[in-house]
Amino acid sequence: MASIQIKDMSVSYNKGKSYVLDKLNLDIKDGEFCVFLGPSGCGKSTAMHCIAGLLHPASGEIRFGDTVMTRAGAKGRDKIFVPPQERNIAMVFQEYALYPNMTVRENMSFALKTKKAPKDEIEKRVSYMAQMLSIEQLLDRRPAELSGGQRQRVALGRALVRDPQVFLLDEPLGNLDAKLRDQVRYELKKIQLQLGITTIYVTHDQTEAMTMADHIVLMKDGHIMQQGTPNELYDHPENEFVAGFLGTPQINIFSCEVRDDVLDAGDFRLRIPQELRASLAPYAGKRVDLGIRPSDFELASSQENAIAAHVDSIEPLGDAYLIYVRIGEKVVVFKYTGEHAPQDRELLLTANMKKLHLFDPQTQERINQ
Amino acid sequence: MQNDIARSKEAQQAQTVRVKPRWHMTVLHIVYYLIMIAFLVFYMLPFWGTVMTSFKTNSEVMTTTPIMPPRQWTLEGYASAMEELGQPLMTSLLVTLFGAAGSVFLGSICAYGLSKWKFRFNNVFFIALVAATYLPFQAILIPLLQTINALDLYDNVWGLVLVHTVFGMPMCTVMMRGYYADVPDALIRQAMIDGNGVWQIYRKIVVPNTKIATITVFVFQCTSIWNEMLFALVLGGYDSKPATIALNELAGTMAAEFNVQMAGSLILALPVLVLYIFMGKYLISGQMSGAVTAS
Ligand SMILES: Nc1ncnc2c1ncn2[C@@H]1O[C@H](COP(=O)(O)OP(=O)(O)O)[C@@H](O)[C@H]1O
Ligand SMILES: [Mg+2]
Repeated sequence: MASIQIKDMSVSYNKGKSYVLDKLNLDIKDGEFCVFLGPSGCGKSTAMHCIAGLLHPASGEIRFGDTVMTRAGAKGRDKIFVPPQERNIAMVFQEYALYPNMTVRENMSFALKTKKAPKDEIEKRVSYMAQMLSIEQLLDRRPAELSGGQRQRVALGRALVRDPQVFLLDEPLGNLDAKLRDQVRYELKKIQLQLGITTIYVTHDQTEAMTMADHIVLMKDGHIMQQGTPNELYDHPENEFVAGFLGTPQINIFSCEVRDDVLDAGDFRLRIPQELRASLAPYAGKRVDLGIRPSDFELASSQENAIAAHVDSIEPLGDAYLIYVRIGEKVVVFKYTGEHAPQDRELLLTANMKKLHLFDPQTQERINQ
Repeated sequence: MQNDIARSKEAQQAQTVRVKPRWHMTVLHIVYYLIMIAFLVFYMLPFWGTVMTSFKTNSEVMTTTPIMPPRQWTLEGYASAMEELGQPLMTSLLVTLFGAAGSVFLGSICAYGLSKWKFRFNNVFFIALVAATYLPFQAILIPLLQTINALDLYDNVWGLVLVHTVFGMPMCTVMMRGYYADVPDALIRQAMIDGNGVWQIYRKIVVPNTKIATITVFVFQCTSIWNEMLFALVLGGYDSKPATIALNELAGTMAAEFNVQMAGSLILALPVLVLYIFMGKYLISGQMSGAVTAS
C-alpha cells in the first residue's frame, strides 16, 4: 500500500512535438479512492499508463510512497525506471485484455500463480471475488464465450483478487448495463474500503466519479482543471468547465452585467447579496457569467428577485420533475422536487442566492469565494 | 464472431432455398461444371498416371500407356524404391524435423522481439531479415561449403540441419512477425502488470495464443526442407544423402524403370500430402476472439 506522488510529469507521443500531458502534479494519499475524470481524449489513460510503468514520460517523477518508480528527463544515473512487473500493481484495461487461451478461473489466478501464491489461497480468493461479481457460473468458460459485460467483470475480478500496492482501473464499468453498473459500483467501493488499497479509477462518467471518489481529479486537454472531494468540486467549481462538467442536468449559465447592486441578465435582475459585493466590486459595469444549478431554482413565493419563466416541457423523474422553461429566449432547466408538477405555463422562479456561481467570461475562472 | 458467421450462413442457405432455378441458370451451371471437370482432369491426369504406373510390373510399364490401370497390381516398384530410398528417407526426416524445429524456434523468438518490443535499430534488423529471405542460395554456395567443411560437418546430417535452421530462420521470422502482430499489445501489457517478464510473456501468452501460426509456419518449413535439393546435393555427400537426391539418382541409374521411379516419387510426396491434410483442421481462425474489445 502506498501513496502516489506525481511531479511535473509531461508525456508526448511524438517525441516532444506536442504534449498529451503537460507538467502534471498530483498527490494521492495512501488508501484513497481517486478518480480521474474528464472528457474522452483528455489524457486519463495516458496518465494511468505512466503510473503503471507502461509509458515513459518525457519528464517528471512518479513515486509510490518513498520509492521513486519513474524519474525521466534527468541525465545519466539519475534516470530511474522500475518495470511494470516489479511495481506490484493490479490494473483493469479499458480493452479488458483477457487471455484468450485461459479460462476465466485461469485468468483470475494468473497473477497470483506468477507470484507463486499458495494454491488454496488462490482458490479461496478467486471464488470469493467471483461471488462478489456474480461470475461464479462463468469460471470454466473462455473469454470468447462471454458477453462484453461479463468480460468486463472478469477483468475487474482478475485485478481485485490480487493484493497490490495500487489498483489502476481504466473505465472498468463502461460496458455494463445501468443496473449491473450500480451493483458492481457498490461492490467495488465496498471491496476497496475493506482492502484499503490506494485506487485510481478512470472514468468519463461524472455520476461514477461523484458516487465513488474520495478525491476527484478533473482533467481537460492534459491539464488538471480542479481536484478535491466530490462536494468541493460540485459546490465550489473553480472554473466554468468544472461547473459545466459536474451535475446533470448541466448548470445554467447566464451572461450578466454588473450594475450598481444588481446582476442584470437582460430578462431578469438579481439584487447582489451582501456576501458577493466585495468579489464583484472589480467587475462594476462589466459582464460576468452567472451559473445556477437546476436544483438551485425554486418556485418564487414573493416578487423579490423573481424570474419570469415560461414552461416548455416537463420530464418526470419519479422523485422529481425536470422542467424546461424559457427565460426570455434562453432555455433553462429547473429541477422541481414538489409532489405534483405545477399546472401553470407561466412561473415565477427564484434562485438560491447562497449558491450562485460567478465566473469571469474571459478567464473562465471563478469570481466569488 | 463465430455466431455471426453461423447466422450469415443460415441466411445464405435460406436464400438459396428460396430461389427457384430457371432454365438458363441450369445451363450455366452445367457449363461451369464442365469447365471445372476439364480442369480437374487436366491437373489430375499426370498424378493418376504416376499412381497407376507405380503399381505395375516392369514389363507392363513397357507395354501399356501410363494412364491404363495395371492388369496385375504389384508392390514390386515400391519394394525396389524403398531399397534405394530407405536410408535417405531417414536422413530427410531427421533433417526436416530438426531443421524446421530449429528455424521455427529461432524465428519465433526473433519475431517476438521484433513485433512486441521496441529497441534501437529494430527496423534495421527486420529489413536485414527480409533481405535474407531473398538471398539466392546459389550465390553463397561455395563459401557455405567451405564453412561446413571447416566445421567438419560435410556429409553429416547435422550439417544439413544447421544450414536449414539458419537459412529457414529469416522466412520464419517474417511469417511469424505477421502473426504475432495480431496478438493485442494490451495482452502483453496486462501480462507485465500481472508480474511477468519478457520471457514469461513469450512462454505463457504469446506462444499459447499463436499455436496455429506456429503449426502453419512449421508445416511450411517442413515442406520446403523436405523438397529441397540444392543444399542436399552439395552438402549431403554420400552417407547422409537426403531422399530428393536419392530419388533423382533412381532416375539416373535405372533408366526406364518407371514403376520404381513413380513409386519413389509417391513415397516422397506422401508425408507432405499427409501433413497438409492434417493441417487443414488447424487452419480455423478466430483464435484471438474474446481478448479485447472490438473498438
Ligand atoms: N499510442 C498513442 N499514440 C499517439 N497518440 C495517442 C496514443 N494514445 C493516446 N493518444 C492521444 O493522447 C490523447 C489522450 O489519450 P488518452 O490518454 O487515451 O485519453 P483518455 O483516456 O482520457 O480518453 C488523445 O488525444 C489521444 O489521441
Ligand atoms: Mg482512456
